[in-house]
Amino acid sequence: MVVMLPCPGTAGADTTVVPYSLSKQSNQFSREDLREIFFGRRTRWPDGTTLRVYVLPDQHPVHVRFAKEVLGVYPYQLRSAWDRMIYSGTGTAPIVIDTVEQMQTVIKQTPGAIGYIEQ
Amino acid sequence: MKNIPLRRHTASVAILIGAMLSYAQPSSALELGLGDWQAHGFVSQGYTLTSKYNAFGQSRSGGSLDFTEIGVNLLGHLQPNLLIAAQGMYRNAGGSDREDFRLDYANLDYHMMLDPQATIGVRLGRVKNPFGLYNDTRDVVWTRPGVFVPQSVYFDSLALRQPMISSDGGLFYGRYAVGDHAFTSELVISEPLDNSGGATEFLTGVPNAQGDMGGRPMFVGRMGYEWQEGRFRLLFSVVDLDRDFNSSTPGIASGNIKAFYPLASVQLNLEDWTFTGEYGQVTAERSGFVNDENTSESFYVQTEYRFMPNWSALLRYDSFTFDIDDRGGDHNAEKFNLPQHSFYARDLTVGLRWEFTRNWQLLSEYHSVWGTAWLSPQDNPDLSQRTGPERWDMFALMLSFRF
Repeated sequence: MVVMLPCPGTAGADTTVVPYSLSKQSNQFSREDLREIFFGRRTRWPDGTTLRVYVLPDQHPVHVRFAKEVLGVYPYQLRSAWDRMIYSGTGTAPIVIDTVEQMQTVIKQTPGAIGYIEQ
Repeated sequence: MKNIPLRRHTASVAILIGAMLSYAQPSSALELGLGDWQAHGFVSQGYTLTSKYNAFGQSRSGGSLDFTEIGVNLLGHLQPNLLIAAQGMYRNAGGSDREDFRLDYANLDYHMMLDPQATIGVRLGRVKNPFGLYNDTRDVVWTRPGVFVPQSVYFDSLALRQPMISSDGGLFYGRYAVGDHAFTSELVISEPLDNSGGATEFLTGVPNAQGDMGGRPMFVGRMGYEWQEGRFRLLFSVVDLDRDFNSSTPGIASGNIKAFYPLASVQLNLEDWTFTGEYGQVTAERSGFVNDENTSESFYVQTEYRFMPNWSALLRYDSFTFDIDDRGGDHNAEKFNLPQHSFYARDLTVGLRWEFTRNWQLLSEYHSVWGTAWLSPQDNPDLSQRTGPERWDMFALMLSFRF
Protein backbone atom coordinates (compact mmCIF):
# COMPACT_ATOMS: atom_id res chain seq x y z
CA MET A 1 0.00 0.00 0.00
CA VAL A 2 1.50 3.28 -1.08
CA VAL A 3 0.65 6.45 0.78
CA MET A 4 -0.17 9.65 -1.05
CA LEU A 5 -0.25 13.05 0.48
CA PRO A 6 -1.16 16.32 -1.17
CA CYS A 7 2.10 18.04 -2.04
CA PRO A 8 2.09 21.80 -2.43
CA GLY A 9 4.90 23.52 -4.24
CA THR A 10 5.50 20.96 -6.98
CA ALA A 11 4.49 23.27 -9.80
CA GLY A 12 6.59 22.58 -12.87
CA ALA A 13 7.55 19.07 -11.77
CA ASP A 14 5.65 16.28 -13.46
CA THR A 15 6.27 13.90 -10.58
CA THR A 16 5.48 14.03 -6.89
CA VAL A 17 7.52 12.69 -4.00
CA VAL A 18 5.48 10.68 -1.54
CA PRO A 19 6.13 8.64 1.60
CA TYR A 20 6.44 4.95 0.83
CA SER A 21 5.57 2.10 3.14
CA LEU A 22 3.78 -1.22 2.99
CA SER A 23 2.04 -0.52 6.30
CA LYS A 24 -1.56 0.66 6.12
CA GLN A 25 -0.97 2.62 9.33
CA SER A 26 0.94 5.23 7.31
CA ASN A 27 -2.30 6.23 5.52
CA GLN A 28 -3.17 8.45 8.44
CA PHE A 29 0.13 10.32 8.72
CA SER A 30 -0.02 14.10 8.63
CA ARG A 31 2.97 16.35 7.91
CA GLU A 32 3.47 16.65 11.69
CA ASP A 33 3.58 12.84 12.03
CA LEU A 34 6.06 12.56 9.15
CA ARG A 35 8.29 15.20 10.75
CA GLU A 36 8.25 13.31 14.05
CA ILE A 37 9.24 10.14 12.17
CA PHE A 38 11.88 11.50 9.79
CA PHE A 39 13.50 13.71 12.43
CA GLY A 40 13.92 10.53 14.47
CA ARG A 41 11.74 11.44 17.44
CA ARG A 42 9.00 8.86 16.86
CA THR A 43 10.25 5.29 16.91
CA ARG A 44 7.02 3.27 16.96
CA TRP A 45 4.09 2.69 14.65
CA PRO A 46 0.67 3.45 16.16
CA ASP A 47 0.34 -0.28 16.96
CA GLY A 48 3.60 -0.20 18.97
CA THR A 49 5.88 -2.06 16.55
CA THR A 50 9.32 -0.74 15.54
CA LEU A 51 9.52 1.99 12.90
CA ARG A 52 12.49 1.70 10.54
CA VAL A 53 13.22 4.86 8.60
CA TYR A 54 15.08 5.01 5.27
CA VAL A 55 16.31 8.05 3.38
CA LEU A 56 18.37 8.83 0.27
CA PRO A 57 21.73 10.69 0.45
CA ASP A 58 21.53 14.36 1.55
CA GLN A 59 22.02 15.78 -1.94
CA HIS A 60 19.87 13.27 -3.85
CA PRO A 61 17.23 15.29 -5.75
CA VAL A 62 14.40 13.10 -4.44
CA HIS A 63 15.63 13.58 -0.85
CA VAL A 64 15.81 17.33 -1.35
CA ARG A 65 12.26 17.34 -2.73
CA PHE A 66 10.97 15.14 0.10
CA ALA A 67 12.48 17.48 2.68
CA LYS A 68 11.16 20.64 1.09
CA GLU A 69 7.84 19.55 -0.40
CA VAL A 70 6.63 16.93 2.06
CA LEU A 71 8.28 17.87 5.37
CA GLY A 72 8.58 21.60 4.65
CA VAL A 73 12.22 21.85 5.82
CA TYR A 74 15.68 22.31 4.27
CA PRO A 75 17.71 19.10 3.95
CA TYR A 76 20.45 20.52 6.20
CA GLN A 77 17.91 20.79 9.05
CA LEU A 78 17.43 17.02 8.90
CA ARG A 79 21.17 16.31 8.75
CA SER A 80 21.84 18.64 11.65
CA ALA A 81 19.13 17.01 13.81
CA TRP A 82 20.39 13.48 13.02
CA ASP A 83 24.00 14.39 13.75
CA ARG A 84 23.06 15.94 17.06
CA MET A 85 21.19 12.76 18.04
CA ILE A 86 23.81 10.21 17.10
CA TYR A 87 26.74 12.15 18.57
CA SER A 88 24.93 12.90 21.84
CA GLY A 89 23.38 9.44 22.29
CA THR A 90 19.81 10.67 22.16
CA GLY A 91 18.44 8.86 19.10
CA THR A 92 19.22 6.92 15.96
CA ALA A 93 19.38 8.41 12.47
CA PRO A 94 17.55 7.02 9.42
CA ILE A 95 19.47 4.52 7.30
CA VAL A 96 20.85 6.03 4.08
CA ILE A 97 20.10 4.08 0.88
CA ASP A 98 21.87 5.07 -2.35
CA THR A 99 19.09 4.84 -4.97
CA VAL A 100 15.30 4.99 -5.17
CA GLU A 101 15.23 1.44 -6.59
CA GLN A 102 17.22 0.08 -3.63
CA MET A 103 14.96 2.01 -1.27
CA GLN A 104 11.85 0.30 -2.72
CA THR A 105 13.47 -3.13 -2.42
CA VAL A 106 14.63 -2.57 1.18
CA ILE A 107 11.24 -1.25 2.27
CA LYS A 108 9.45 -4.27 0.78
CA GLN A 109 11.82 -6.62 2.61
CA THR A 110 11.99 -4.87 6.02
CA PRO A 111 9.14 -5.12 8.52
CA GLY A 112 7.98 -1.71 9.76
CA ALA A 113 9.93 0.22 7.11
CA ILE A 114 9.08 3.67 5.78
CA GLY A 115 10.83 5.81 3.19
CA TYR A 116 9.75 7.82 0.17
CA ILE A 117 9.64 7.51 -3.62
CA GLU A 118 9.07 9.67 -6.67
CA GLN A 119 5.96 8.98 -8.71
CA MET B 1 60.52 15.84 23.57
CA LYS B 2 57.55 17.12 21.63
CA ASN B 3 57.97 14.93 18.57
CA ILE B 4 57.45 11.62 20.31
CA PRO B 5 53.82 12.12 21.40
CA LEU B 6 53.13 13.88 18.11
CA ARG B 7 54.27 10.88 16.12
CA ARG B 8 52.30 8.56 18.36
CA HIS B 9 49.12 10.57 17.82
CA THR B 10 49.62 10.87 14.10
CA ALA B 11 50.17 7.13 13.81
CA SER B 12 47.08 6.29 15.85
CA VAL B 13 45.01 8.69 13.74
CA ALA B 14 46.29 7.11 10.54
CA ILE B 15 45.41 3.64 11.79
CA LEU B 16 41.94 4.75 12.81
CA ILE B 17 41.30 6.49 9.50
CA GLY B 18 42.38 3.31 7.71
CA ALA B 19 40.11 1.19 9.86
CA MET B 20 37.18 3.49 9.23
CA LEU B 21 37.75 3.60 5.47
CA SER B 22 37.67 -0.18 5.33
CA TYR B 23 34.30 0.07 7.07
CA ALA B 24 32.67 0.97 3.78
CA GLN B 25 29.00 1.74 4.48
CA PRO B 26 28.28 5.21 5.81
CA SER B 27 25.42 5.38 8.33
CA SER B 28 25.12 1.59 8.35
CA ALA B 29 22.86 -0.46 10.49
CA LEU B 30 24.43 -3.43 12.14
CA GLU B 31 22.42 -6.56 12.64
CA LEU B 32 23.52 -8.01 15.96
CA GLY B 33 20.39 -10.04 16.47
CA LEU B 34 19.04 -7.93 19.35
CA GLY B 35 16.94 -5.11 18.00
CA ASP B 36 18.36 -2.49 15.63
CA TRP B 37 21.87 -1.17 16.18
CA GLN B 38 23.90 1.61 14.58
CA ALA B 39 27.55 2.48 14.85
CA HIS B 40 28.87 5.92 13.98
CA GLY B 41 32.08 7.78 14.51
CA PHE B 42 34.42 10.55 13.46
CA VAL B 43 38.11 11.30 13.17
CA SER B 44 39.18 14.95 13.10
CA GLN B 45 42.72 16.24 12.90
CA GLY B 46 43.49 19.90 13.35
CA TYR B 47 46.49 22.06 12.58
CA THR B 48 46.95 25.33 14.45
CA LEU B 49 49.42 28.10 13.67
CA THR B 50 49.55 31.16 15.90
CA SER B 51 51.54 34.32 16.42
CA LYS B 52 52.72 35.51 19.87
CA TYR B 53 50.91 32.86 21.99
CA ASN B 54 50.22 29.12 21.88
CA ALA B 55 46.77 27.61 21.38
CA PHE B 56 46.02 23.89 21.11
CA GLY B 57 49.63 22.86 21.62
CA GLN B 58 52.93 24.55 20.82
CA SER B 59 51.45 26.35 17.83
CA ARG B 60 53.98 29.12 17.27
CA SER B 61 56.65 28.77 14.57
CA GLY B 62 55.69 25.76 12.47
CA GLY B 63 52.33 25.13 14.05
CA SER B 64 50.84 22.35 16.14
CA LEU B 65 49.08 19.08 15.31
CA ASP B 66 47.92 18.77 18.92
CA PHE B 67 44.25 18.89 18.10
CA THR B 68 42.77 15.46 17.53
CA GLU B 69 39.23 14.30 18.14
CA ILE B 70 38.19 10.70 17.59
CA GLY B 71 34.89 9.21 18.64
CA VAL B 72 33.08 5.94 18.10
CA ASN B 73 29.55 5.29 19.28
CA LEU B 74 27.04 2.48 19.33
CA LEU B 75 23.31 3.09 19.55
CA GLY B 76 20.63 0.44 19.80
CA HIS B 77 16.93 0.14 20.51
CA LEU B 78 16.27 -2.55 23.10
CA GLN B 79 12.59 -1.71 22.67
CA PRO B 80 11.20 0.73 20.10
CA ASN B 81 11.21 3.47 22.77
CA LEU B 82 14.13 2.26 24.90
CA LEU B 83 17.50 3.37 23.53
CA ILE B 84 20.92 2.38 24.81
CA ALA B 85 23.85 4.46 23.58
CA ALA B 86 27.53 4.94 24.38
CA GLN B 87 30.41 6.90 22.87
CA GLY B 88 34.08 6.54 23.57
CA MET B 89 36.30 9.47 22.71
CA TYR B 90 39.93 10.26 22.31
CA ARG B 91 40.80 13.94 22.49
CA ASN B 92 44.08 15.76 22.52
CA ALA B 93 44.12 19.55 22.56
CA GLY B 94 47.61 20.44 23.70
CA GLY B 95 48.24 21.43 27.30
CA SER B 96 44.59 22.08 28.03
CA ASP B 97 43.54 18.45 27.55
CA ARG B 98 45.75 15.53 28.55
CA GLU B 99 42.91 13.12 29.31
CA ASP B 100 43.32 11.06 26.11
CA PHE B 101 40.59 8.39 26.10
CA ARG B 102 37.31 8.96 27.93
CA LEU B 103 33.74 7.78 28.10
CA ASP B 104 31.82 10.65 26.53
CA TYR B 105 28.31 9.33 27.15
CA ALA B 106 26.73 6.03 28.13
CA ASN B 107 23.04 6.28 28.73
CA LEU B 108 19.71 4.53 28.66
CA ASP B 109 16.84 6.59 27.25
CA TYR B 110 13.15 5.83 27.68
CA HIS B 111 10.44 8.00 26.17
CA MET B 112 6.67 7.84 25.93
CA MET B 113 4.09 9.72 23.91
CA LEU B 114 1.40 11.26 26.09
CA ASP B 115 -0.57 12.13 22.98
CA PRO B 116 0.47 12.80 19.36
CA GLN B 117 1.69 16.29 20.40
CA ALA B 118 3.47 15.58 23.67
CA THR B 119 6.45 13.37 24.50
CA ILE B 120 8.25 12.93 27.80
CA GLY B 121 11.36 10.92 28.54
CA VAL B 122 14.14 10.13 30.94
CA ARG B 123 17.81 9.45 30.28
CA LEU B 124 20.06 7.83 32.88
CA GLY B 125 23.81 7.28 33.04
CA ARG B 126 26.55 9.52 31.73
CA VAL B 127 24.53 12.09 29.82
CA LYS B 128 25.60 14.99 27.61
CA ASN B 129 24.78 18.29 29.29
CA PRO B 130 22.10 20.19 27.37
CA PHE B 131 23.53 23.69 27.28
CA GLY B 132 23.25 26.28 24.53
CA LEU B 133 23.29 25.44 20.85
CA TYR B 134 26.52 23.47 20.64
CA ASN B 135 27.52 21.96 23.99
CA ASP B 136 25.86 18.55 23.49
CA THR B 137 28.01 17.72 20.46
CA ARG B 138 30.78 20.32 20.80
CA ASP B 139 33.59 17.84 20.10
CA VAL B 140 32.22 16.82 16.69
CA VAL B 141 33.27 19.28 14.00
CA TRP B 142 30.31 18.19 11.84
CA THR B 143 27.90 19.74 14.34
CA ARG B 144 29.74 22.91 15.33
CA PRO B 145 30.09 26.09 13.34
CA GLY B 146 33.83 25.84 12.63
CA VAL B 147 37.17 24.37 13.67
CA PHE B 148 36.55 25.76 17.16
CA VAL B 149 33.35 26.43 19.08
CA PRO B 150 33.04 30.09 20.12
CA GLN B 151 35.54 30.23 22.97
CA SER B 152 33.84 32.94 25.00
CA VAL B 153 30.79 30.76 25.61
CA TYR B 154 32.24 27.23 25.48
CA PHE B 155 35.74 27.67 27.02
CA ASP B 156 37.71 24.92 25.26
CA SER B 157 41.17 25.68 26.56
CA LEU B 158 40.14 26.24 30.18
CA ALA B 159 39.40 23.35 32.52
CA LEU B 160 35.85 24.65 32.91
CA ARG B 161 35.04 22.56 29.84
CA GLN B 162 35.37 19.36 31.84
CA PRO B 163 32.25 19.80 34.04
CA MET B 164 30.38 21.28 31.05
CA ILE B 165 30.64 18.31 28.68
CA SER B 166 28.80 15.43 30.28
CA SER B 167 27.88 14.31 33.78
CA ASP B 168 26.67 11.25 35.68
CA GLY B 169 23.03 11.29 36.64
CA GLY B 170 19.59 11.69 35.18
CA LEU B 171 18.03 13.88 32.52
CA PHE B 172 14.29 14.48 32.23
CA TYR B 173 12.89 15.92 29.03
CA GLY B 174 9.65 16.88 27.40
CA ARG B 175 8.52 18.16 24.02
CA TYR B 176 5.20 19.62 23.03
CA ALA B 177 4.58 20.29 19.35
CA VAL B 178 1.62 21.86 17.68
CA GLY B 179 1.76 22.56 13.94
CA ASP B 180 4.99 24.40 13.16
CA HIS B 181 5.64 25.24 16.83
CA ALA B 182 7.50 23.11 19.37
CA PHE B 183 8.39 23.71 22.99
CA THR B 184 11.15 21.68 24.62
CA SER B 185 12.57 21.39 28.09
CA GLU B 186 15.40 19.38 29.62
CA LEU B 187 16.61 19.12 33.19
CA VAL B 188 19.76 17.35 34.38
CA ILE B 189 20.51 16.45 38.00
CA SER B 190 23.95 14.94 38.12
CA GLU B 191 27.39 14.53 39.54
CA PRO B 192 29.70 16.81 37.51
CA LEU B 193 33.04 15.50 36.21
CA ASP B 194 34.95 18.06 38.27
CA ASN B 195 37.56 15.72 39.71
CA SER B 196 39.29 15.25 36.36
CA GLY B 197 40.97 17.22 33.63
CA GLY B 198 42.32 19.97 35.88
CA ALA B 199 38.81 21.11 36.82
CA THR B 200 39.59 21.25 40.55
CA GLU B 201 42.55 23.49 39.90
CA PHE B 202 40.52 25.72 37.61
CA LEU B 203 37.43 26.01 39.82
CA THR B 204 39.45 26.81 42.93
CA GLY B 205 41.94 29.02 41.12
CA VAL B 206 44.67 27.33 43.17
CA PRO B 207 47.62 26.13 41.05
CA ASN B 208 48.29 22.38 41.58
CA ALA B 209 45.32 22.14 43.93
CA GLN B 210 45.07 18.77 45.66
CA GLY B 211 41.74 17.67 47.06
CA ASP B 212 38.29 16.38 46.25
CA MET B 213 35.24 18.11 44.92
CA GLY B 214 31.97 17.00 46.45
CA GLY B 215 28.65 18.20 47.74
CA ARG B 216 25.42 19.05 46.03
CA PRO B 217 24.65 17.62 42.56
CA MET B 218 24.82 19.94 39.56
CA PHE B 219 21.67 21.24 37.85
CA VAL B 220 21.59 21.93 34.13
CA GLY B 221 18.43 23.09 32.43
CA ARG B 222 17.45 24.13 28.93
CA MET B 223 14.12 25.37 27.63
CA GLY B 224 13.41 26.17 24.05
CA TYR B 225 11.00 27.21 21.36
CA GLU B 226 11.39 26.02 17.75
CA TRP B 227 9.54 27.06 14.66
CA GLN B 228 9.51 24.72 11.65
CA GLU B 229 12.04 22.25 13.03
CA GLY B 230 14.56 24.92 13.93
CA ARG B 231 14.25 27.49 11.15
CA PHE B 232 13.89 29.78 14.10
CA ARG B 233 15.15 28.65 17.47
CA LEU B 234 15.22 30.33 20.86
CA LEU B 235 16.87 28.65 23.85
CA PHE B 236 17.46 29.53 27.45
CA SER B 237 19.97 27.37 29.34
CA VAL B 238 21.42 27.45 32.81
CA VAL B 239 24.11 25.62 34.78
CA ASP B 240 23.98 25.79 38.57
CA LEU B 241 27.04 24.40 40.33
CA ASP B 242 27.58 24.42 44.10
CA ARG B 243 30.57 22.34 45.15
CA ASP B 244 32.62 21.81 48.28
CA PHE B 245 36.36 21.66 47.93
CA ASN B 246 37.94 19.34 50.50
CA SER B 247 41.52 20.49 50.43
CA SER B 248 44.50 18.21 50.83
CA THR B 249 46.82 20.96 49.61
CA PRO B 250 49.30 22.13 52.28
CA GLY B 251 48.50 25.69 53.34
CA ILE B 252 45.18 25.83 51.48
CA ALA B 253 41.92 25.66 53.44
CA SER B 254 38.82 23.79 52.31
CA GLY B 255 35.95 25.84 50.95
CA ASN B 256 33.06 26.18 48.58
CA ILE B 257 32.63 27.15 44.93
CA LYS B 258 29.39 28.31 43.40
CA ALA B 259 28.96 28.96 39.69
CA PHE B 260 25.79 30.10 37.98
CA TYR B 261 25.78 30.34 34.20
CA PRO B 262 22.61 31.45 32.37
CA LEU B 263 22.80 31.55 28.57
CA ALA B 264 20.36 32.80 25.95
CA SER B 265 20.61 31.47 22.40
CA VAL B 266 18.91 32.50 19.19
CA GLN B 267 19.26 31.09 15.69
CA LEU B 268 17.66 31.76 12.31
CA ASN B 269 18.13 29.12 9.60
CA LEU B 270 17.36 30.31 6.08
CA GLU B 271 18.03 28.33 2.92
CA ASP B 272 21.52 29.75 2.32
CA TRP B 273 22.17 31.71 5.51
CA THR B 274 22.28 30.90 9.20
CA PHE B 275 22.41 33.68 11.81
CA THR B 276 23.33 32.79 15.38
CA GLY B 277 23.85 34.63 18.65
CA GLU B 278 24.41 33.54 22.23
CA TYR B 279 24.78 35.67 25.35
CA GLY B 280 25.58 34.56 28.89
CA GLN B 281 27.11 35.58 32.21
CA VAL B 282 29.00 33.38 34.66
CA THR B 283 28.77 34.36 38.30
CA ALA B 284 31.39 32.58 40.38
CA GLU B 285 31.67 32.76 44.15
CA ARG B 286 34.50 31.19 46.11
CA SER B 287 34.70 31.01 49.88
CA GLY B 288 36.93 29.32 52.45
CA PHE B 289 40.32 29.16 50.74
CA VAL B 290 39.72 32.62 49.26
CA ASN B 291 36.73 34.93 49.37
CA ASP B 292 35.80 36.45 46.05
CA GLU B 293 32.91 36.90 43.72
CA ASN B 294 33.03 37.70 40.05
CA THR B 295 30.65 37.99 37.11
CA SER B 296 31.97 37.52 33.60
CA GLU B 297 30.28 38.09 30.26
CA SER B 298 30.30 35.91 27.14
CA PHE B 299 28.67 36.53 23.79
CA TYR B 300 29.09 36.05 20.08
CA VAL B 301 27.25 36.83 16.87
CA GLN B 302 27.84 34.63 13.87
CA THR B 303 26.71 34.08 10.32
CA GLU B 304 27.18 31.06 8.06
CA TYR B 305 26.63 31.32 4.30
CA ARG B 306 26.13 28.19 2.18
CA PHE B 307 27.21 29.70 -1.15
CA MET B 308 27.66 26.45 -3.10
CA PRO B 309 26.31 22.93 -2.47
CA ASN B 310 29.45 21.77 -0.62
CA TRP B 311 30.90 25.06 0.56
CA SER B 312 30.07 27.42 3.38
CA ALA B 313 31.65 30.51 4.85
CA LEU B 314 31.74 31.68 8.45
CA LEU B 315 31.98 35.13 10.01
CA ARG B 316 31.94 35.55 13.80
CA TYR B 317 32.62 38.15 16.45
CA ASP B 318 33.19 36.56 19.85
CA SER B 319 33.73 38.48 23.08
CA PHE B 320 34.66 37.46 26.61
CA THR B 321 34.99 39.85 29.55
CA PHE B 322 36.27 38.42 32.84
CA ASP B 323 34.66 41.04 35.06
CA ILE B 324 31.63 43.04 33.96
CA ASP B 325 32.58 45.75 36.47
CA ASP B 326 36.08 46.04 35.02
CA ARG B 327 35.75 45.65 31.25
CA GLY B 328 39.19 47.00 30.42
CA GLY B 329 40.86 44.85 33.09
CA ASP B 330 42.62 47.81 34.83
CA HIS B 331 41.58 46.98 38.40
CA ASN B 332 42.04 43.23 38.07
CA ALA B 333 45.45 43.74 36.43
CA GLU B 334 46.55 45.60 39.53
CA LYS B 335 44.89 43.20 41.96
CA PHE B 336 46.33 40.01 40.43
CA ASN B 337 49.53 41.52 39.03
CA LEU B 338 48.68 40.33 35.51
CA PRO B 339 48.44 42.17 32.18
CA GLN B 340 45.15 43.93 31.49
CA HIS B 341 44.56 41.90 28.34
CA SER B 342 44.38 38.67 30.33
CA PHE B 343 40.94 39.78 31.53
CA TYR B 344 39.22 39.88 28.13
CA ALA B 345 39.34 38.37 24.65
CA ARG B 346 37.70 39.71 21.50
CA ASP B 347 37.97 37.36 18.58
CA LEU B 348 37.06 38.14 14.96
CA THR B 349 36.86 34.93 12.90
CA VAL B 350 36.47 34.14 9.22
CA GLY B 351 36.24 30.55 8.03
CA LEU B 352 35.62 28.28 5.08
CA ARG B 353 34.17 24.75 5.09
CA TRP B 354 34.38 22.33 2.18
CA GLU B 355 32.62 18.95 2.21
CA PHE B 356 34.65 17.57 -0.66
CA THR B 357 33.04 14.16 -0.73
CA ARG B 358 30.35 12.44 1.29
CA ASN B 359 31.54 12.11 4.91
CA TRP B 360 34.77 14.09 4.46
CA GLN B 361 35.33 17.76 5.07
CA LEU B 362 38.10 20.29 5.30
CA LEU B 363 37.79 23.50 7.30
CA SER B 364 40.02 26.51 7.53
CA GLU B 365 39.75 29.45 9.85
CA TYR B 366 41.53 32.68 10.66
CA HIS B 367 41.17 34.45 14.01
CA SER B 368 42.29 37.95 14.84
CA VAL B 369 42.26 38.17 18.63
CA TRP B 370 42.59 41.07 21.08
CA GLY B 371 43.18 39.77 24.59
CA THR B 372 44.39 36.54 26.13
CA ALA B 373 41.63 35.60 28.60
CA TRP B 374 40.79 32.14 27.21
CA LEU B 375 44.31 31.03 26.37
CA SER B 376 45.47 27.90 28.15
CA PRO B 377 48.03 28.62 30.91
CA GLN B 378 49.44 25.10 30.30
CA ASP B 379 50.30 25.99 26.69
CA ASN B 380 51.46 29.48 27.72
CA PRO B 381 53.49 29.32 30.94
CA ASP B 382 54.69 32.90 30.31
CA LEU B 383 51.12 34.31 30.37
CA SER B 384 51.50 35.55 33.93
CA GLN B 385 54.48 37.71 32.99
CA ARG B 386 53.37 41.16 32.04
CA THR B 387 55.34 41.24 28.81
CA GLY B 388 53.09 39.71 26.13
CA PRO B 389 51.17 41.78 23.56
CA GLU B 390 47.41 42.23 23.46
CA ARG B 391 46.82 41.22 19.86
CA TRP B 392 47.61 37.86 18.29
CA ASP B 393 46.55 35.74 15.30
CA MET B 394 45.47 32.17 14.88
CA PHE B 395 45.13 30.14 11.70
CA ALA B 396 43.63 26.66 11.83
CA LEU B 397 42.88 23.78 9.50
CA MET B 398 40.85 20.70 10.26
CA LEU B 399 40.30 17.55 8.22
CA SER B 400 37.50 15.26 9.31
CA PHE B 401 35.98 11.95 8.32
CA ARG B 402 32.81 10.50 9.78
CA PHE B 403 30.68 7.45 9.34
